[in-house]
Amino acid sequence: MALLEVNGVSKVFTQKRKPAHIVLDDVSFAVEQGQFVSLLGPSGCGKTTLLTMLGGFMHPNAGEIILAGNRVEEPGPDRGFVFQNYALFPWMTVKENILYSLRVKKYSKQEQAERLQELLDISHLHGSESKYPIQLSGGMQQRVAVVRALASRPKLLLLDEPLGAVDFQMRELLQEELAHLVEGAKTTVIMVTHDVSESVYLSDRVLVMSGIKGRIIKDVYINLERPRRRQSKEYTAYVSELTRLVRLAFNGNSADVDSTAAAAAANNHSTKRQLSYVEAYNRASNKYAQNS
Amino acid sequence: MAKHESEVPLAGERKLDPADFFEKNRGAIYSIIVLSILMIIWYFAANRIQNTLLLPYFQDTVKEFINCWIDRKIVSNLMLTLKRVFTGFLYAFAIGIPLGLLMGYSRAAMQGISPIINSLRQIPIMAWIPLSIIWFGLGDGPTVFLITVSAIFPLVINTIAGVHGIDPTYYNAARSMGASLPNIIRDIVIPGALPSILTGCRLAMGSGWMSVICAEFIATSAGFGFLMVEAQMRLETAQLYALMIMSGLVGFVIDKGFIVIESKLTSWRYKDGFIGG
Repeated sequence: MALLEVNGVSKVFTQKRKPAHIVLDDVSFAVEQGQFVSLLGPSGCGKTTLLTMLGGFMHPNAGEIILAGNRVEEPGPDRGFVFQNYALFPWMTVKENILYSLRVKKYSKQEQAERLQELLDISHLHGSESKYPIQLSGGMQQRVAVVRALASRPKLLLLDEPLGAVDFQMRELLQEELAHLVEGAKTTVIMVTHDVSESVYLSDRVLVMSGIKGRIIKDVYINLERPRRRQSKEYTAYVSELTRLVRLAFNGNSADVDSTAAAAAANNHSTKRQLSYVEAYNRASNKYAQNS
Repeated sequence: MAKHESEVPLAGERKLDPADFFEKNRGAIYSIIVLSILMIIWYFAANRIQNTLLLPYFQDTVKEFINCWIDRKIVSNLMLTLKRVFTGFLYAFAIGIPLGLLMGYSRAAMQGISPIINSLRQIPIMAWIPLSIIWFGLGDGPTVFLITVSAIFPLVINTIAGVHGIDPTYYNAARSMGASLPNIIRDIVIPGALPSILTGCRLAMGSGWMSVICAEFIATSAGFGFLMVEAQMRLETAQLYALMIMSGLVGFVIDKGFIVIESKLTSWRYKDGFIGG
């Protein structure tokens, strides 16, 4: 049996006075133990929604997600989640961040210390344990975020565009680091990305998602040796083939993709908290406090 | 100055370089210049007006000011007032912070409580005085009550804003690592809201210190505010001025104290672990 089974998952977003928006309709796939799988697709195709449901932060309207025989109902330490902005707790040191999942599960001091050493070893973060996230470079923050998610030895590591906010030169370097980290941890990974080259560089398998209802239009296995050479002919062939597929997913259904993107944008907007009187007051009072 | 700039300073001499000294203490130097100008204006204005009831001589006020810090009676009244302020502040803290956390975290609590809070905070602080005298009589009771009332609103409002300002992905991150609700309150909500809570504390302490003196004008026969009324009754304007300056200075020092606490408790916000204030 596969480690992860996604069976007929559907997700519909409903909004007042607007037609229901079907993000995912009857999506199914399975992931084997140890695979690195990328979900690749145009923005608004529902790949992040799918990952959020794998994380347990959101429930599907239909279908089910089975991880190692158990139905995913809520977030839990059997799935490590790396957020797009890393979500490192800024008030905790590197050590406190990394060990957070062990601390809330009340592991002994000795177990925590041992696990910390292992994680610092694979992430090359020795010497930074007592720094705060603000004092770290982008690359170090990423490593902290990944090993924090790995700390509780999750069955599945979920990466939400982990390099989305990183500039181009930095990105290739961080991809190498990420590949190294994940290989060292020997875990199963699902990564959301819109970067074709990134998916080829890191994955064993790429699922290309369509803009319409998140349909999986292609399941591509990347049969290349690691570490991968970006200049090799096979590598560039994969990149151009996947680029063509993503373009197809995007262009072929431009009307639908547009409405999807618009709905996603509208949805995004509604979750953004409106500027309340509280914030307005606070802004004014902060200003007062600074001036005085 | 030009001479110093043209020379290459030796490592050991750097500290003595006036340009360098100026750069480091720019803020303090500007404050001292402005303060000196005000004092000079006062000195000449008082000499010109020649009416010590309206504007006492600068030198007399300075004398009174120094005297204030030595005078047993004034210092003990100041201590009494400070005790009232800290007591009232602690009550406000004990009520305001949990209330703010609850309202910030729970939408239902926010919707239920915020109209009441927003109505209560429109009532001028002086308007509470008659009621507070009816409830608590004269003395410590009404003053502490008034400080609590005036301090509680900035605390509640800043705590709410602090909780609202927390990035929602922190909650998801904590939940994905197996955190329970008590874990989330302790590890995410409180530390995340802390910078804003501390700003609320500064504002609360400021308004507490301001309202205590008002309260002491009316509702008590001891304390710093009462001394001011006394000085006015005895037509000792110089002492009144000195007391006012003293109250300003004490409030300033308390505020600076909070800034130090703030930079210690939330050093994680700053790359080099320090803020100026």
